[in-house]
Amino acid sequence: MIASAFGVLFDGFAYGMLLFLLSVGLSVTLGMMNFVNLAHCSFAMLGGFVTVTLTNDLGWPFLASLPLAFLSAALVSIALERVLYRRLYGASDLAQCLLTIGIVFVSVAVAAYIYGTIQQPVNLPSYLRGSVAIMGQSLGVYRLFLIGVSIVITAVLVAALEFTRFGAQVRAAVDNQRMARGLGIDVDRVFAVTFALGSGLAGLGGALAIEIVGLDHAFAFTYLIYVLIVVAVGGLGSIAGSFVAASLLGISDMAGKYYFPELGAFLIYFVMVALLMWRPLGLFGRR
Amino acid sequence: MAEALLALEDVRAGYGDAIVLDGITLAVPDGGSLAILGRNGVGKSTLLLTIMGFTRVSRGAVMWRGRDITRAGPHWRARKGLGWVAQERDIFPSLSVEENLMVASRPGRWDLGAIYGLFPRLRERRASRGNHLSGGEQQMLAIARALMTNPMLLLLDEPLEGLAPIIVEELTGAIRRMTADEGTAFVLVEQHAEVALSLSAEAIVLERGSIAHRARSQDLLKDAATLERLIGLRLAEEASGF
Repeated sequence: MIASAFGVLFDGFAYGMLLFLLSVGLSVTLGMMNFVNLAHCSFAMLGGFVTVTLTNDLGWPFLASLPLAFLSAALVSIALERVLYRRLYGASDLAQCLLTIGIVFVSVAVAAYIYGTIQQPVNLPSYLRGSVAIMGQSLGVYRLFLIGVSIVITAVLVAALEFTRFGAQVRAAVDNQRMARGLGIDVDRVFAVTFALGSGLAGLGGALAIEIVGLDHAFAFTYLIYVLIVVAVGGLGSIAGSFVAASLLGISDMAGKYYFPELGAFLIYFVMVALLMWRPLGLFGRR
Repeated sequence: MAEALLALEDVRAGYGDAIVLDGITLAVPDGGSLAILGRNGVGKSTLLLTIMGFTRVSRGAVMWRGRDITRAGPHWRARKGLGWVAQERDIFPSLSVEENLMVASRPGRWDLGAIYGLFPRLRERRASRGNHLSGGEQQMLAIARALMTNPMLLLLDEPLEGLAPIIVEELTGAIRRMTADEGTAFVLVEQHAEVALSLSAEAIVLERGSIAHRARSQDLLKDAATLERLIGLRLAEEASGF
């Protein structure tokens, strides 16, 4: 029983890290620009399909496809930001929701048109398959890889945000956009770069997610819910909040499915409700 | 007059469709200083916000060193030499004192060393978060942060509001030093008319969004009748506060 508890914790944490990669960009975008980007998971889905196409159709190695998944999602998000999103900064939440949910519908339709409505397989290299025994526990290699990647990315993100001038400008713009502009910080550019980075991370998350949760044309809708839960529970604009919330939700979701199968996938919602009743602004939320 | 550093030409400005300022014409020369006086709600802060580019200008032009910047964004203006100290101070709460200073810094004579020389208190508090400062410290930081952008013109919105007399003393000393030693021009909005007039060379008095009176600060300081008429100020009373 102890062994399986650890196993659940491990699988849950790996799943949580996946949720973190998928949601951290949205948390920053929402927290910083108050832009409601419901299409965030469309970028994740794009990353997933890029990896599927590169590995299955073009014979690329899985690892080599990951940077492309990041880049393509980032580039498409820059294009969308320039053409569409920028017009709706400062518009009502409803207008932003309508635009971005429309983009989700379009992305789902495009994915179904190109790839059909079946689950997409991904070919992992042999060294990412199977499991290894660590201290008597059998741990999935791919999940270890996922956790490692996520922790490295978290460390890089936090360091960039805390110790670079660009990071300080991001935080200043989150704190007080008007003052940041008044001091010469190009908030629009800071936001565009942050937005692209966040979308790129979603793309990477989408590629890494295939092995764990699968990928089909509806991914952009399915994971939108989880991503919104992570952002709400973690607190807007907080990387640490997203990290903690994603870990908690990943673990509780896994534990719920494992220990209380009759509750199925509902435990994650109970956890969300409980956490938000305790802290309505999210774990690390300030506003 | 030689080309002004900053000039407003018949400016009408406000927020959305609401007009707050109308027919504002003024000029500040290189190294000059201007006090903006007036009762509450006459548009003093809006005038500074208009100079920074935060309002909608529906008529007239804002000129900066001979260039029309009426449509330029705030960050562009800040980079071209306009420094802004907001009325609300607007310290970034999640940045430390030193980060508040560095996030806006641009090359020039004002660097961390020079700032800490002017405000030794900020050096002591440099690791504190912005939201852990006293009102006086926040005000010092707001001014110091604007100086870190190495502005040619500093816009000060009620920098002495709500501060203890000893800190007022310290800040006015700092403002005098930076204008006398560094030649930084400034536009000062201030409730304490007497302090504002003693610091500045020129003054305007706003009334309902327009300029009701303009004078050299020295002359206005002696013009008790005008001051009382336009801002309800009796100098003797005001002076007793200091």
